[in-house]
Amino acid sequence: MTGPELLLIEDEEPSRRMLADYLEHRGYHVYQADSGHEAMRQWDAHRADLVLLDLGLPDLDGVDVIRRIRREATTPIIILSARGDERDKISGLEAGADDYLTKPFAMDELNARIRAVLRRAAGPDADAQGGLRLGPIELDPIRREVSVSGQPVHLTPREYELLRVMLSSQGRVLTKARLLRAVWGLAYADESAYLHVYVNRLRRKLSAASPATSLDGLIETEPGIGYRVADEGSLREPQADTARPR
Amino acid sequence: MTSSRMVRRVPGAARATLIGAGALGALAVASVAIALLARLGVTHAAPVYLLAVVAVGMRWGTVPAVATSVAAFLAYDFLFVQPLYTFTINSPEEWLNLLLLLAVAVAIGRLVAVQAEHAEQVAERAREAQALFGISRALAETRTVEEAAPIVLERLAAATAMDRIWFGLGASPADEKTVADTAPGEPLPIPAWQVVLQRQPGDEPARWVRTHVATSMLRRKADRATVHRVRVEASGESLGSVWALRAREEREPDRAETRILSAAADQLGQAVVRDRVDLERTSAEIARRSEALKTALLDSVSHDLRTPLATIRAAAGSMLDESVVWSPEDRREAFQAIDSEAERMGRLVRNLLDLSRIEAGALKPELEPCDLDDLVPQVARRAGTAAKRVIVDLPDSLPPVMADQLYLTQVLANLIENAVRHGGDTIRVGAASLQGGMVQISVEDDGPGVPAAAFPHLFEKFYQAGPPGERKRRGMGIGMTVVEGLTRAMRGDVAACRSELGGLRVDVRLHAAAVPDEIIAPPATSGTPASGDASVHATETAAS
Repeated sequence: MTGPELLLIEDEEPSRRMLADYLEHRGYHVYQADSGHEAMRQWDAHRADLVLLDLGLPDLDGVDVIRRIRREATTPIIILSARGDERDKISGLEAGADDYLTKPFAMDELNARIRAVLRRAAGPDADAQGGLRLGPIELDPIRREVSVSGQPVHLTPREYELLRVMLSSQGRVLTKARLLRAVWGLAYADESAYLHVYVNRLRRKLSAASPATSLDGLIETEPGIGYRVADEGSLREPQADTARPR
Repeated sequence: MTSSRMVRRVPGAARATLIGAGALGALAVASVAIALLARLGVTHAAPVYLLAVVAVGMRWGTVPAVATSVAAFLAYDFLFVQPLYTFTINSPEEWLNLLLLLAVAVAIGRLVAVQAEHAEQVAERAREAQALFGISRALAETRTVEEAAPIVLERLAAATAMDRIWFGLGASPADEKTVADTAPGEPLPIPAWQVVLQRQPGDEPARWVRTHVATSMLRRKADRATVHRVRVEASGESLGSVWALRAREEREPDRAETRILSAAADQLGQAVVRDRVDLERTSAEIARRSEALKTALLDSVSHDLRTPLATIRAAAGSMLDESVVWSPEDRREAFQAIDSEAERMGRLVRNLLDLSRIEAGALKPELEPCDLDDLVPQVARRAGTAAKRVIVDLPDSLPPVMADQLYLTQVLANLIENAVRHGGDTIRVGAASLQGGMVQISVEDDGPGVPAAAFPHLFEKFYQAGPPGERKRRGMGIGMTVVEGLTRAMRGDVAACRSELGGLRVDVRLHAAAVPDEIIAPPATSGTPASGDASVHATETAAS
């Protein structure tokens, strides 16, 4: 039973033990670390496939751990945070983390997130022609065309670009600043009002194109943080998506 | 600084007499000198008079010098020019000589006088500058206007011929509150005159304007006083006034006094504004800090509640996952985790509630004899974890303590949990009977302990020992506050010191229960293990 390897970085002992037990039973191989330094040792020794990181570590800043890992690899990182402060999560995501979970979280939610980021890490979102797909939404970068369930959608260049960035980051949380930088440029990183308007317009246009098709849960708002884009793979496996309590 | 010549000026008429006498004296001395020189065969010694003119000019200025020159001219004519003892002059040569003497005397007298006046002005400016420097320094060296004002007024009184100076703050004279006074406590005089300094915009000199004459009803003979008011303003806003009283004279303040008074008023105005800005900054800082404290508290409450909740959900969620087969040991471990984490949350909530009761003074302990042999091991078992050993080392024959069972449980649980959180591997709970019918319970660990500077603050609310840079989770910083509050409520006390194990040691002292002798079998005299001596304990605390 050698499934994907996870590195679980968590200094609260009871929490770490329960999570490790559970994930081992789900078929993952779990390396455990109770401090930032121990985490770096484990990382250097094993290069796990995915990192689960509690931001509040006794010795190092969790964000520094993310930066350190990101310097060397694109290994997916999921933040586990017990703090109410949104800024921590944002700085973690900005430093390169893929997703976050706020404690306490449900086990099946953790499962779904782990599966989503692992699948995304396995290969690019685009097909051979560079086409992107998320459920019924298809984006053809060669013709710059977008369709929902085969119905064409007319998008402005900004809306198209926004959708392209989102579809290229499936299974991840995109911070507002990151989207703004990617679509509007560096100078707009603080103008989150733009983003709000554009995302709403994009959602309206996409659902208007094919009223019969549900687009629920494809692009979700993460309050205070940004947007979560669902993952094409998890859409094909309905149990992972429906199991999410909301 | 108390320059006598500024404080007491000689009045006009007396001054003229003095100058006249001086000039005559100088001329007489010069005449005698010339006569002596003539006797010795020196003719044409008239320039000796020039010395007299120089002396008068230096001392009293231009007008006396010129007058002395003319007097010298006449005296020489009268005393030494043929025909003697008349003002007539025979030879035209003598005429020329005398006129030359007069011209030179006037020129020299004027020059000397201007020079002397200039020197006098320089000295006056220097005194003024020194006074102003003293005032600025007083304002710079003090933190508030209230602190600076007495020093400033002291300097003002020294630099001007005022009998009393005071400083009031307020938008108008009626609203003014006296901040400082050179004669504090004395009643304010009813002045005959009130004079206000009108300051002109630009370079025009300020003028004193008489604004108010007291009615004769109030005017007593002794109160021939004049009160001078200089407004204290900053950017057009009236802040208060500097008041200066001259008790007897009705002379207007001279230029130097006016300058010093108005400069002092300006400086005080600036200082008042500075104080306001400081106050605003301070209150903004206080607001920011309490905001930061609130945020930190909320953050740590949410963290401390979420962490056990996360474990509970992880354990419960694991058990609920039907795709996983769990062994009976796994199940047991999960349920144990749920149980102990729920207990931890309960303790946290209880601490929060206790803290608010302590703050509200709403604690109502039900004191009853509690058996430590019974209670301590039980609390230690529940508050400890699998990884950390809690050694309970209680002497036999420990008397019961007067305590509220729930409070004592919470106190011990907080201390043990604290030790588990911060300590090393070993946590020891001991107890000892002290003299005076007290029992001491000690919880100590072998962790890094707390820095010496932290001891006085250990029981303060939200206090977190250790350097702020350290990111170790330290909880909310209310556990120790609750320990102290509950212990006090049980009429006990609590103290912290460095443990022999290396970490922190906290002693809780409670009253032993007065139980009839026959119930406690042996008398409690032998029970002093650990280092439970009160005096040793005190020195350790002091040393740490």
